[in-house]
Amino acid sequence: MGGMKIKEIFQRLFPSRTRKLVAIVLVGVVCGLGSYTLYASRVWSYVSDDPATCVNCHIMAPYYATWSHSSHSRNATCNDCHVPHENAAKKWFFKGMDGMRHAAIFSMRGERQVIQALDESDEVIMNNCIRCHTQLNTEFVKTGRIDHEGVIAGEGKACWDCHRDIPHGGTNSLSSTPNALVPYPKSTTPGWLKEMLSK
Amino acid sequence: MEKKLKSWQGWLLFGGTMVVVFGLGMLASSVTERRAEVASVMNNKKVEITGIEARNDKFEPNYPREYQTWTATADTSFKSLYNGNQMVDVLEARPEMVVLWAGYAFSKDYSTPRGHMHAIDDIRHSLRTGAPMTAEDGPQPATCWTCKSPDVPRMMQAMGVENFYKGKWGGMGSEIVNPIGCADCHEPENMNLHISRPALVEAFQRQGKDINQATQQEMRSLVCAQCHVEYYFKGDGKYLTFPWDKGYTVEDMEAYYDEVGFSDFTHKLSRAPILKAQHPDYEISQMGIHAQRGVSCADCHMPYKSEGGVKYSDHHIQSPLAMIDRTCQVCHRESEETLRQNVYDRQNKAREMRDRLENELAKAHVEAAFAWEKGANEEQMKDVLKLIRQAQWRWDFGVASHGGAFHAPQEIQRILGNGLDKAMQARLVTSKVLAKLGYTDNVPMPDISTKEKAQKYIGLDMASDRAAKQKFLDTVLPEWVKEAQQNNRQAKDI
Repeated sequence: MGGMKIKEIFQRLFPSRTRKLVAIVLVGVVCGLGSYTLYASRVWSYVSDDPATCVNCHIMAPYYATWSHSSHSRNATCNDCHVPHENAAKKWFFKGMDGMRHAAIFSMRGERQVIQALDESDEVIMNNCIRCHTQLNTEFVKTGRIDHEGVIAGEGKACWDCHRDIPHGGTNSLSSTPNALVPYPKSTTPGWLKEMLSK
Repeated sequence: MEKKLKSWQGWLLFGGTMVVVFGLGMLASSVTERRAEVASVMNNKKVEITGIEARNDKFEPNYPREYQTWTATADTSFKSLYNGNQMVDVLEARPEMVVLWAGYAFSKDYSTPRGHMHAIDDIRHSLRTGAPMTAEDGPQPATCWTCKSPDVPRMMQAMGVENFYKGKWGGMGSEIVNPIGCADCHEPENMNLHISRPALVEAFQRQGKDINQATQQEMRSLVCAQCHVEYYFKGDGKYLTFPWDKGYTVEDMEAYYDEVGFSDFTHKLSRAPILKAQHPDYEISQMGIHAQRGVSCADCHMPYKSEGGVKYSDHHIQSPLAMIDRTCQVCHRESEETLRQNVYDRQNKAREMRDRLENELAKAHVEAAFAWEKGANEEQMKDVLKLIRQAQWRWDFGVASHGGAFHAPQEIQRILGNGLDKAMQARLVTSKVLAKLGYTDNVPMPDISTKEKAQKYIGLDMASDRAAKQKFLDTVLPEWVKEAQQNNRQAKDI
């Protein structure tokens, strides 16, 4: 029995009451510190579509600010363009992988001065241009007939090869919007604690 | 049988946990450090500003681009079809308006507005503020300063809001010296948008709304709505109040004023209790398609600007027609010429109605005055006065909001159309009154073809007003400036 086995191992590792207590405290320390890390990185916000989530990492501020000043900010969130929308599985797998990658680079201070989309990301973005602008692409002009792989293969141009300023107003660097008013995350110290400490 | 944990197993467990906790600690500290950088984004300032700082130049070292574009509001070189950023004498161009405002300071002096940088200069020089020789002297209350300067919230904090409004305009001349600027819309600590004037907050409260719940995009209009709205001075305390309790339309606000029995002045000719519309720019723009699609004031009047790889909001607040490539064309594909013409078409159509209404309304006042002369009594004139009040409220509401013809063209046409209807009705009822009094001819119309003739007709002595103002400018104003400089209240000259 699997259950029995775990119990046996547990008994072997922590035969005495003291050891059990010590082990529980240690596990508590690991879990507590882990929870703090999740809290400080606002991990719950990542399941939403709120663009404010993306400036959890402040280096995204120029990209948030330029988006919020563009006409796309009226109708499209970050996720509308930057994660796939073919089906839920694809959406959440991509979002998870991409998010973990961003989190790792940010935590390890690996970001470049100019953030640019990877090929995988380009593919997703271009599919989303085509998805929302279907009517434009089918009824009025003959664009959006290839995907980004086709672009790489030289079969045509990506949307932004012509629409260069959409939606972030051209290329941005991490320093291109000093003083931009974006919804940065609030301090991890709760207000009541700050008040107590300041007394 | 109880199995004991071997010594090495214990040490391994201890060491392993230590490594995990140590690693987690480093990760947590990395996350915290990177979160702390957010504070440094805003803390990375050359000078620390706290409290209400009215001297705009103090913000320059921290925000040079925003500051320098703000100073460009001093520019007076732009002119569109009907407006621009120059001071143009409106009464000169439209002498009928002198008649419409007979008995009110606007009949003396009314010009098109210049940029924010001129706010202090222009209110000091306007004939409307008179020539106060002492702090208790002059025609206007201190409430008139409310929208002119970031010194106002500073003084409100120092002396209390009610006390601020209670004083005389002339009593505050040495304190309110810096033109509309940074602190009017921004918190100095982090430059977040904030509401610095109580009237807007109070109007929201009376509507059961909390302005603190406004989104960033809404704030990009609400900071403008602190001033670019319809308002009045309530009661003897001249308490600045927005008449929004019943809603934002011209009828809603009229119902509010009717209910509280308010009028700005009694017309000198017709004796109608007149409402003077201020500039309901915010209210009218909210009724237009751009605001209804989520476009804020700042989107078009302070468009995004790119300069050497840096992008920021242009603080040269002005007509979007002066920079169509950064305003209209951000969303619309048409050429500059087409877009400009689209705006002009709307303005021309509104102007057609305005010209008709202005003309008829002036006649309505003259005819009502004539009826009084012929011996009409209050009972006979009751309906006439009500209709004139309604017509002029609609005329002013439609005209005083300079951008209204574009912000909400349908609403402006509706307002001016109804105004014209009321003015025509007023004239009709007056002619009935005159007929009863035995007069059936046309009422003789005065020659009001120029501003001077119109001002003379309504009995103004402009020469003495101008002389008094000049004396004020020569004697009192230099004292104000000197005192402000001595108290270190005034920003450096630009």
